[in-house]
Amino acid sequence: MSNPSRALHLVAVALLLTPVACTTTTDPKPPRDTTSATQVTGPLCAALPTGTDPGNPSFLADQPVDQALRWIPTLTTFEAALRTSGALTDLPTGTDVTILAPSDDAFAATFSEDNWDDLMTRHTDQLRTLLKAHLITGTHTIDDLVTAGTTATLDGTTVTVTRTGPTARLADRADAVCADYRATNARIHIINAVLGALPKTAGDTDERAH
Amino acid sequence: MRHQRPLAIAVATLLTLTLTTAPTPANAQSAAAPNQVTNLTIRQADGYATLAWQPVDGATDYQIERTAVDATGTPTGAPTIVGIWRPNRQINQQAPTFADAGFNPGDTFQWRVRARAGTTEQPYSDPVVATTTAPWGNPDTPGEQLRTQWETAHAAQYTSDTDEYAYTAAIDALSDRVRVVELGRTVQNRPINMLVIGYPTPATTPEAVAATAPVAINCNVHGNEPGDREACLIMARQLAFSTDPRITDLLSHTTVLIVPTINGDGRANNTRGNSTGQDLNRDYSLIRQPETAAYIKMVRDYRPVAGYDGHEFGNSRAGDLPMLPPRHQNVAQPIFDQSQDMIEGHMYTKGAEAGWWACPYGCEGGGNVGLSEETILRNTLGLKNVANSLLELRSSGGQTRPDEGNTANNRRRKTYSALWTFHQFLDYHRADRNDILTSRAESIEIQAANTGRLVFRGSRPIPAHPAPHPGDSPPPLDAPRADLILDNAPCAYKLTDEQYNGARTDGPGGVGTTVAQRIAAHGWQVIKTNDGWYVPLNQPERGLIPLLLDTQGVEKLTDGERVYPTLTGRRNGPLTVTGFTCAADATINGPVTVQPGAALVATATTISGPVSANRAAGVVLADSTVNGPLQITTTNAISIIDVTIAGPASLTGNTTGTTAALLAGNTIRGPLNCTANSTAPTNLGVANTVHGPRTNQCAAL
Repeated sequence: MSNPSRALHLVAVALLLTPVACTTTTDPKPPRDTTSATQVTGPLCAALPTGTDPGNPSFLADQPVDQALRWIPTLTTFEAALRTSGALTDLPTGTDVTILAPSDDAFAATFSEDNWDDLMTRHTDQLRTLLKAHLITGTHTIDDLVTAGTTATLDGTTVTVTRTGPTARLADRADAVCADYRATNARIHIINAVLGALPKTAGDTDERAH
Repeated sequence: MRHQRPLAIAVATLLTLTLTTAPTPANAQSAAAPNQVTNLTIRQADGYATLAWQPVDGATDYQIERTAVDATGTPTGAPTIVGIWRPNRQINQQAPTFADAGFNPGDTFQWRVRARAGTTEQPYSDPVVATTTAPWGNPDTPGEQLRTQWETAHAAQYTSDTDEYAYTAAIDALSDRVRVVELGRTVQNRPINMLVIGYPTPATTPEAVAATAPVAINCNVHGNEPGDREACLIMARQLAFSTDPRITDLLSHTTVLIVPTINGDGRANNTRGNSTGQDLNRDYSLIRQPETAAYIKMVRDYRPVAGYDGHEFGNSRAGDLPMLPPRHQNVAQPIFDQSQDMIEGHMYTKGAEAGWWACPYGCEGGGNVGLSEETILRNTLGLKNVANSLLELRSSGGQTRPDEGNTANNRRRKTYSALWTFHQFLDYHRADRNDILTSRAESIEIQAANTGRLVFRGSRPIPAHPAPHPGDSPPPLDAPRADLILDNAPCAYKLTDEQYNGARTDGPGGVGTTVAQRIAAHGWQVIKTNDGWYVPLNQPERGLIPLLLDTQGVEKLTDGERVYPTLTGRRNGPLTVTGFTCAADATINGPVTVQPGAALVATATTISGPVSANRAAGVVLADSTVNGPLQITTTNAISIIDVTIAGPASLTGNTTGTTAALLAGNTIRGPLNCTANSTAPTNLGVANTVHGPRTNQCAAL
C-alpha cells in the first residue's frame, strides 16, 4: 500500500460498501430485516454468517440442501461425509428431510484422523449408516422435535429430544448449538456431538500431526 | 556466522518501514491513570492489525478488546476480548505486540488494551479506531480485481477445485509474471498445478528456473487443512500484479513456485489423505502415490533451494505458528543450520515485530510428532539439500485467542498468519540468498563425500530457545536407536533386475511404479553393469538413498545389497577398471582406464595420472583429486563433484538418458569441454572453478 492514491481509493470503496446507514441520510427506515423469516437459534449462530453475510440463513432458505450445507462453515466434515456416503442422494427426489448436523469440532472429538480417513475412503457402508443416524424424514423445527419427545432417524434408531434451557438435547449426548436453518425441503440443526453407534476413536491427547 | 547479519537485518528493517502504512496512534491521549496501558498504536497489514503499546510495570498479561464501529466510530457490535498477550514468545517479551486477526478485512474497528495484574483488570487504554486493510487488489484494476471463492464468500466457503483452476488460469492469462504448469494428476485425475512466478517473466524451462535459485511453497498436502492454500492463492495474485518495489525486487532475484493443491482429491472430500486413504506426508520418499511423485519430480527438475510446507495443527496449546526444520540426522548440518536460522533467526524476530507467535514445533504435549520420518516432506527436502520448514497454523484459538471452532473468523486468522509467513519466507530468501546457496553447496559436497555414519531413523536435537526466555518446550529429542545406525557406510547398493524393474503392488489400486521409475523421479545416478544395477552413495542425496535401498531401512523400497570399496590404500602402476570398482581413501599412482561396460566409483581418492573412460557404465567421483586430464566418452552415468582435476576435462557423446551428468563444485586446472552429450551436463547450481575456457554444453557450468 505504498501508493497513496490507491490507498485513498480503496478506503473510499470500502466506505461505499459499508452496509450501515450514513449519518446524513434523511430516511430513518432501517435496513431490511432479513432474519425474521429464518430465525436460527443457539449459541453458535452468532459466529456463523449472519445479516447480509454470504451464506446467511435467509440466503440458504432458498438453496437446495446440499448447497446450503456447503455454506455453513462448521459443517465441512459432515458435508463432505454426506456427499461421499450418498446418504442424501439415496433419498427419493423431493423428500423432505431434517438434518442433525454435527459440527467439525464434534467429529474431531469423536474420530481419530486415521479412523476418519479409513471410513471416508474404505468403508462407505459404515459411513452411510453413520450419516443416516443424522437424517430424519420430514421437515421438523427443533421445537417440533422437542414437543414430540422422540424421533426416528433413517438408520432405524429412536432419538430422544428434550428441552435443556434455551436449547434442545438429543440422544442425551448432543446439544443443538444452532438450530432451524431452512433449505429447500429441509431443516438443518447443528449439533455438538456425533450420533450413531460407531465407537469413539479420538484420544484425549490426540492431535493432528503434520 | 549465520546468526550475525546486521547489514541484512538493517536492510530488511528499512524495507519494512517504508512499505507498511504508518501506525494509527490513540488520539486525544488523556493523562494516564495508574497502570493504564498507554501509547497504543495499530498498524494495518493484509488480514491482520498489529497492536503495540507501552508495557505496564507488574502486568501479568494484557487483554486486547475489539469493537466493530461504523464510519463515525459508533459501536455496531459488542466489545469482545479477541486476544491475550503475555510474555510467552521466544524474543522481545518486553515489547508487546499482538497481531489481531479474524475480522473481515476492510471493516472498521475500535481497539483498546488493558493490563491484568494476576486476574485484576487495570484500566483500558484510550481507544484507537482504524479501518482495516481491504482484500488486496484494486477492484477496478484488471488482475488485481481477481478474488478467490474464499474471499468472496467471506471465508464461509473454501475455494473449490474448479474455482482454483479458474482463478489461477485468470492470473496466468493476465500476468506476464506467471505461468501455470501441470505437474501431474491425482489418483482421481485432478490436475496438480504449480504457479511459476518471476519478474518480468518467469524463466521458460525448468532448468532455466533452477538457475534462479527458486523457492517452493507446498500449500495443501492434507485435504482437511486448507488454511495455507488460501494464503497461497492470495499471495499468487499479489506477486502477479503488485507494483510494490519489494515484490518486483523479490521476483527479480528468484522464481517463486507455488503448488496450491497437491492433494486435490483429499481437499474435495475434506480428508487428510488422498482418495486411497494414504497420508501423502508419509510418502515423499517412497513416492507410491502419483501426487507425491509429481512433487518430487518437480523438486528434481526445478531444484528449489528453500521451501515451506503448509499444515494446520490440532494442538491447542501451541503458539500461532509452530515451525520445524528437517531434523533427520542424515540431513547435512549446513542445511539443518540454515533452516533453523530461517525459523529462529528470521521468523521469531519478524514475528515479534508483527505480533504473530512463531514458535518451536513441540509446544506443550507435542510428544509424539516432529520426528525423523524421511517420508515427511520437511525431511525429504532436507535430504535433497533444500533449506525448509514445516508451518503449522494452530487449528483452534489456543491460549491467546478465542476458541471459535471452524468459523470464518478462525479461518481468516489462520490464512492471514500463513500469508504473513510466506511473505517473510520470500524476504528471508532475498536477504539470505547467498548464505542459502553456500549452505546448499556445502551440503551437496558433504553428502557426495560419503563420509560418516548413516542413520535410518533419528533426529538432530532442537534445543530450547536460549534465554532470556525459552518459550515453548522443544520437540522430543528422538535420538537414533543403536540398531538404526550404520557406522560403516557402503560405497553403493546393488539391485537385481527383479528388484530394479520388477512389478510392484504398493501404489493406488495395488499397482506401483517400479523402483527404477522412483529412483529416476528422485534423480539419482544409477550404473548398470552386466551383473546388476548399482546406486552409488557418493552423490548429492546420499542421506536418502540408504533409507530406501538398505535392508535396515524402516520404510524402504527394496533390500539392496551393500557394496563396499574394493580398492583402498596405495596402488602403483596403470589401472584398468573392469566390472564395478569402488575406490575409497585410495592413492592410485598411474593412469586409470575404465573399460567398456565397467564402472569406477571413487571418494577421498587421489589418482596421479590421466583418467579415461570410453563406453563405460559409469564414472562417479567425489571429494577426490585427479592429477591429470579427465576424458569421458560414450558413457552412461557421470557424476563429478568436489574433485580437483589438474588438467583438461572433457565429456563427449555421453548417453546419460534423462539423468544429466553432474559437474558440481570441481576445480579444473585446464579447459572444460562438453560436446554432443545426450543431455547437457548440469552443476546443480554449485559452480565449478575452471582455469581454462568452458565450451559448448559446459559453457555456463
